[in-house]
Amino acid sequence: MSLLRTLGGIPLSLSILVSVAAFAADTQETAKTVCAACHGVDGNSTDPQYPKLAGMDQEYLMRQLRAFASGKRREETMSAIVAGIDPNDFSALASYYGKMKPSPGKVNDPQLAAKGKVLYDDGNTDSGVPACAGCHQPHGKGNARFPRLAGQHQAYTLKQLADYKSGRRATDPLMTTVGMRLTLDEAKALAEYIAGL
Amino acid sequence: MKYLTRLIGMLVAACSWSVALATGPEAWNAPYAEKTEALRAKGDPARGEVAFEICQGCHRVGALGRADGSYPRLAGQHVTVLIKQLTDVRSGRRSNPKMLPFADHQSLSVQEIADIAAYLSGLPVPNDQGQGDGKALALGERLYVMDCASCHGPRGEGDPNRFYPRIAGQHFRYLLRENLLIRDGKRKNANPDMVKAIRNYGEAEIDAVADYMSRLPGAPAR
Repeated sequence: MSLLRTLGGIPLSLSILVSVAAFAADTQETAKTVCAACHGVDGNSTDPQYPKLAGMDQEYLMRQLRAFASGKRREETMSAIVAGIDPNDFSALASYYGKMKPSPGKVNDPQLAAKGKVLYDDGNTDSGVPACAGCHQPHGKGNARFPRLAGQHQAYTLKQLADYKSGRRATDPLMTTVGMRLTLDEAKALAEYIAGL
Repeated sequence: MKYLTRLIGMLVAACSWSVALATGPEAWNAPYAEKTEALRAKGDPARGEVAFEICQGCHRVGALGRADGSYPRLAGQHVTVLIKQLTDVRSGRRSNPKMLPFADHQSLSVQEIADIAAYLSGLPVPNDQGQGDGKALALGERLYVMDCASCHGPRGEGDPNRFYPRIAGQHFRYLLRENLLIRDGKRKNANPDMVKAIRNYGEAEIDAVADYMSRLPGAPAR
């Protein structure tokens, strides 16, 4: 009886192994042929308008893929690309990028970054901007609920803050509030500081 | 004209009715569905610590608040007080436009409110709160003993059963601001007994009593 069970288990285990391998290969294929052109082969984009994905939490990346697919996050190019990806692959893709090593960003204006640090750590009590560190963690590493910011390109961070402010990105009502309370100068300072985290 | 008279009569009746409602003995703390639900829920401090992440950008890590009074210390506050104030803010009973988006129904569930309250009430209250200039502490003590201690307790410990906040360990600047708002009838969810108690306080007396309160030790026995 136990021999039978053991023998019976072999084909099932094998088929699971094979399908996992095929799934992983598909995901890597998608990442290399579809995502890498903008987000970089190692998940660290070189064009600052596209975000680095390396090291971001898997749950956050999955939520964004779903938001692009549903239209909750509007970005013409990205939405069209995501429409061509099987939603069943979102989880594996998110995990693939989450495990990559994030590259450091580059601060171009240390004085501006210093202003950004004050805002990042303390917020603005007059306008009610909370400290970014409260959710995104003191060093910008993020967690499952709040994305990693550390080392992100200035242009991308700035664009997201502007999109929250305008309502173009509506994935998080709290960030809509934060975007609306930030001035453009404050947003620039934050983006500069975040690049150096 | 007859219609106008009738309309005015109806308006007057409606006004006096709503005034009667709003000034009833316990109107400041009348029950409503969400508050009752949150008070009945069993709060989980571990889940509360996670839910509090969206609050700590302002109230700071450990809920210690800020000495400039912009954000109060919440650490060690009574569960009932935290739930009342939070649900009052999100239902508009206490006006706080800065906080509202972070406390509304999109941001927090009723269970999360109970969890956050459970987490905050168990946090330590260090004795490093912002204090006043110390110039009128004798006056402050006299006023506190006379007008405040019967509700907020001789050591500022408050009363969870009556929804009276613990004020020991709170920042001076926050106490000052709220005392002024309450005295001037601008904090809508304030207890009318307190408004009455401090109605005739001048600036110097408000300052003195807030200073005395800010020196009550932060972590009285629980």
